[in-house]
Amino acid sequence: MPDEEDNHIPVESQLSQVETTTNSLPGDQTPAPIPINPSPPHVNRKRLRELLQETEPTPVELSLTKFRWMTRRDILVYGLSAVAALSAFYWLLPDDTRARIAGMSGSSKLDTLAMRVGLSGDRKTKLLGNVLTFDDDVAAALYSKDRSVPVFDKSQITPNLINNYDGQTPDPSYIPTWRLELSGLASGKDEMLTADQLRGGFKHYEEVTRLVCVEGWSAIAWWGGLRFADLLSAYPPMAGAKWAKLESSVNLDSNGNSDPYYVSIDLPTAQHPQTLLATHHDGKLLEVEHGAPIRLLVPMKLGLKNIKAVTKITYYIEEPADYWNERGYSKYDGL
Amino acid sequence: MATTVVGEAKEQPISIKVVKKHHLLVRMSHWLNIPILLMLGLSGMSIYWAAPVYTHTPDPTTGNNDYLADFGMYICRHIPIYHQYSMPANWIYDHFSLGTGLLADALNIHWLFAYLFMANGFLYLIGLILGNGYKSLLPRRTDVGETFAMIRYYLGLLPAKLLRKPWHHPVINSKYNALQRSAYFSMPIFGTLSVLTGWAIHKPTQLKWIAALFGGYDYARIWHFWLMWIFAAFVIPHVILVAADGWDTFRSMVVGWSDRVTRHDA
Repeated sequence: MPDEEDNHIPVESQLSQVETTTNSLPGDQTPAPIPINPSPPHVNRKRLRELLQETEPTPVELSLTKFRWMTRRDILVYGLSAVAALSAFYWLLPDDTRARIAGMSGSSKLDTLAMRVGLSGDRKTKLLGNVLTFDDDVAAALYSKDRSVPVFDKSQITPNLINNYDGQTPDPSYIPTWRLELSGLASGKDEMLTADQLRGGFKHYEEVTRLVCVEGWSAIAWWGGLRFADLLSAYPPMAGAKWAKLESSVNLDSNGNSDPYYVSIDLPTAQHPQTLLATHHDGKLLEVEHGAPIRLLVPMKLGLKNIKAVTKITYYIEEPADYWNERGYSKYDGL
Repeated sequence: MATTVVGEAKEQPISIKVVKKHHLLVRMSHWLNIPILLMLGLSGMSIYWAAPVYTHTPDPTTGNNDYLADFGMYICRHIPIYHQYSMPANWIYDHFSLGTGLLADALNIHWLFAYLFMANGFLYLIGLILGNGYKSLLPRRTDVGETFAMIRYYLGLLPAKLLRKPWHHPVINSKYNALQRSAYFSMPIFGTLSVLTGWAIHKPTQLKWIAALFGGYDYARIWHFWLMWIFAAFVIPHVILVAADGWDTFRSMVVGWSDRVTRHDA
C-alpha cells in the first residue's frame, strides 16, 4: 500500500505529482527533498501550517482489477467482522432481553448453537464478572484515604430521604434488645456492645454527605455518629484482617419475610475519617426507617453498602460474601 | 474517474485513479462505534429506568411518576396494534432498552462497552493522526459562509427538484463541506463529554472535580442522558446523507480509497 509513504511527502511535491503521475504506477513515486527555510520564525510558522492545513491528497493509479479485488476483500472482511460482532454482542445480552428478541424457543436454539462453538452461559457469566472485577480494581486504585468526600451545607439537604426498605421496614421491637456483635477480633473473643456504649463511649462526628444509589438517584443528608476507625482502634481486628462483613439480621424482603442483609467493606475504606457508624440523622436519633440504632455511613461507596440496623461486624482476611454481589452487582462499589 | 488506454478509444478502462480517504484505524473505529454505542444506549436506558430523571408527582391510580412511561402508555392508547400491550408503562423500555428490571445486567454491560468505547476513541484518534485526517476536521475561516451556503442548498434541494430547476451544490474545495466538518469535528468532542460525564456519575467522590465541571452529580447524569440523544440524532441525517451521496462515500469508509480524485465534484 502506498499510503504509508504518502504521509511524508511535503505539500509542494504532492501538488507537482498530481500533474506528473498521470500514467505512472504508485511504485514510481520518489519523495522530493524537504525544502530548507533559512529564517527560523518562518520555519516555525510554516511547520505549524503544514501541521494544520488540509492538503490535496495524492492520487494513485491502480489497475481496476486490483481495486475491485481490494474492495471485495475489504467488504467481505468487514461484513464477516460485523456478523461476528453482532453475534457476540447478542450473546452478551441478558437472557430476558434475548428471549424478547428471538422468542423463547428461538433464544434457546441460539443458545444451543452458541454452546456448540464454545460460547456457554458460564463463559459469559465469567467474562462479565471479569468486567465487574476490572471496574472494581479501577475504583480501588482511585481510592485514597486522604481524599475527602464532598461535604454540603445543611441548606442543601434533600427532603424526604428514601430508604429503599421498599415499604418493608422492620418492626421497631428489635431496638430495645439490640446488641452489636463484634467477631474476628485480635483478642480472639467476641464482644457484645449496646447502643448506649456506642453512642456514649466514642467521640461524636457530624457530616452532610451525598448518598448515591446504584439506581442512579442521590440524596444529600446530615448524619452523626462515631467513626468506624475509632471502633477499629478500640476493638482491633485480628492480625492480617483486610475486610469487614457487616450484617443486619432484622432485614426483611419485599414480602415481609426475614432476609438477612450483609455487605463487605475493605478496611482501608472503613478507616476513612468520613466513614461513620451513624447513630443520628438530621440531628436526631436515627429512625427505624434509616437503620436505628446503628447504620454504616460510607459515602465513598454506593448506597447499597450503607447497611442499616447493623447487628454484627466480623473481620476477615479474605473478602467475605456481599448480598448484592451475589445478585449480579459489583463488589467493591467505590464511588 | 477511470482512464482509458491511450490510442484505444471506447475500450474498457483498465486502471482507476484513487485517493486515500480514511486511515485503517479510523475505518475500524468508525464501524465499531455502531455496536458499542447501540449497546451503551440500550443498557443506559435500562439504567435510566431504575431511577428516571424526568419525573412528576406519582399518578394516583397507577403510581407512575416517569414521563417516559407516560409516553409508552400514550403510544399504547393511540396505536391500534399496541392496544392489547401487556405493560404499556414499559413500552418505551421494552423497545428502546435491554428491558425493565435488569439493572445489574445493564450496569455490567454498560461498563464493558464504556471501556470499549474509550479504547475505540483512542484507536480513532491514533488513526486521525497517522492518516492526517485531523487536518480535514479542523475549523477554518470560511466555515461560517459555507455553512449558510450548504443550509441554503439543502433547503432548496427538494423544491428545485419538484420544479425541475437546476440546483447546484456549492463548490467545496476541501474533503468535507462546512456542515460535515462541524458534525465530524464535534462528534469526538461529544464522545469525550460522554466519557467525562460517565466518569463523573461513576466516581463522584474520587473524581469529584469532573462532576464539578458539569455542575455536580445530578447535573452530570442529565448531561450524560442528553449526550446519548445527540449521538442518536446524529445517526439519522448521517445515514441519509451518506446514502444520498452514493457508493463511493460508503466504500471509502470500508476500503479507505475514494475515486473522487479532485475535490470539486464533492
